[in-house]
Amino acid sequence: MTRNAIRPADAVAYGLLVLSSLVVLVPVGWMLSTALKGSDELFSQTVRWLPQNPSLDAFVRVFTDYPFGAYFANSILIVTVSTVIAIAFAALAGYGVTRFHFRGRGSLMTFLLLTQMFPSIMLLIPYFKLFQSVGLIDTRTALIIAYVSFQLPLCSWMMVGYFRSVPTELDAAAAVDGCSRLRTFFQIILPLTLPGVAATAIYAFISGWNEYLFALVLTSSEDKKTVPVGIGQLIGQYRIQWNDLMAASLYALVPLTLIFIFLQRRIISGMTAGAVK
Amino acid sequence: MQSTRDAIAGRLFTLPVLVVSLVLVAYPILYGIGLSFFDTNLVNRWDFIGLENYARLATDGSFLNSILVTFGFAFLVVAGNLVVGTCLALLLDRGLRYTTVFRVVLVLPWLFPEVVVALIWKWMYNPVYGLFNADLLAAGIIDEPVAWLDDPNLALFAVALAAIWKGYPLVMVLVLAGLQTIPRELYEAASLDRAGRLGKFRHVTLPGLRPVLLAVVVLETAWWFKHFTIVWLLTSGGPAGATSVVSIDIYERAFKNFQWGDAAAAAVVVLVICLALSAIYQKVLHRDDS
Repeated sequence: MTRNAIRPADAVAYGLLVLSSLVVLVPVGWMLSTALKGSDELFSQTVRWLPQNPSLDAFVRVFTDYPFGAYFANSILIVTVSTVIAIAFAALAGYGVTRFHFRGRGSLMTFLLLTQMFPSIMLLIPYFKLFQSVGLIDTRTALIIAYVSFQLPLCSWMMVGYFRSVPTELDAAAAVDGCSRLRTFFQIILPLTLPGVAATAIYAFISGWNEYLFALVLTSSEDKKTVPVGIGQLIGQYRIQWNDLMAASLYALVPLTLIFIFLQRRIISGMTAGAVK
Repeated sequence: MQSTRDAIAGRLFTLPVLVVSLVLVAYPILYGIGLSFFDTNLVNRWDFIGLENYARLATDGSFLNSILVTFGFAFLVVAGNLVVGTCLALLLDRGLRYTTVFRVVLVLPWLFPEVVVALIWKWMYNPVYGLFNADLLAAGIIDEPVAWLDDPNLALFAVALAAIWKGYPLVMVLVLAGLQTIPRELYEAASLDRAGRLGKFRHVTLPGLRPVLLAVVVLETAWWFKHFTIVWLLTSGGPAGATSVVSIDIYERAFKNFQWGDAAAAAVVVLVICLALSAIYQKVLHRDDS
């Protein structure tokens, strides 16, 4: 083994890792501490990590004093629908690209990769104008369409990779058994790529959930806004209620954390299942 | 016969992606390029003016400033992400105990929405009640509170620091994956040649990481060059344009001043810069291969 532990070097490594972890955890802890503070304690010049009168009021006010209920409903709806559509399209394309020979196959994949180089700001004005002219401005549909188009290129590339790892002998065997192409896709190949689908879904969901600029431009009424826009507009206010904002932010982290924990376990179990076979 | 059917089936399976790419990416981009040649209010005034928008931008001080600021911002963030991400990946790859715990903690900021990152840092940077000033004052490093986001000399660095906090985990994860692909035999061979730890790092680890690092630099540069959210929410481009990255410049031209043609032209300039940067990187990458 090449990495025979040299004690002092390991000690330095631990030190650096602990220090870095603190750089991550201190802001997160400060956020939590702020959310638990009352408004009077918020603006005190002495740093107090443990609130004197910790209360969960901010976590209630988020929904009673602000329309965060609507923001969350919008975010969940928009991002879930766009993720499902993007994954479905990407999976179909992944199967098509890895199973069939046709002209333009390579150019399609190259174009999808190239779109990653395009600055999204380039799409902002055209989207605004195009959605306006078809009457979709300030609707959730507009955001769903926009997010599908953002998620699709990378999702397609990821799905092509996962489909490539499933041997084509399985397709041939299914064809011998008289299984149609569509049925082969749905019942035989797609189930084998589920760990990949999960990983791709994580990526797509997180990128949609976190998106700010297009939601800012394409929606205007309170009942259409998403969580990032809702939080963002409160940051700009003159007297910022930091405790309420931190509580709202902590709520915004919940879906991401849940998905991450849940899907990570599935991915790992999917991978080990494949290894045993 | 079989191959024709094959081709049709293949096209059908890829049809949805093709339609979305054409209607929602290719067409809007062409539309945006077309818009940059017009003086328009997007409703009923469409005056074709050729390259006038571009000519105006070429002499527009605030636009040129924003391009410079963007290069500075992107450089700071990409360099910061690369250094921090690579160092942490190397530390995590030493096979120490509790590595999993450290990895979960260190990857956390990647999960955070940019809006939340901006919010946390804005609160910490707060000149009167913020954690930053309180701690630095207590430690005696500064004598009086610093207005981190309101000082033209500090604002860009302050904004970049928040962006690095959000951005390094992605580099860390990618480099960590890259480290796994370096064959262990190379290290053993280096040991036989009596290479020290530093020698192994220089002659095995770094060359092995080269492809990953180059790909990361290309993607990260394109990504941070067009970044908007964290900067917009922390400073809105201020003070005095010190953090006015080009995305903010375009956003304000379009949605505050309604200069659609100018904004579209500015977006085309960003597109050209991004493509040029990636072409340069490709060249470097190819020279490396040969």
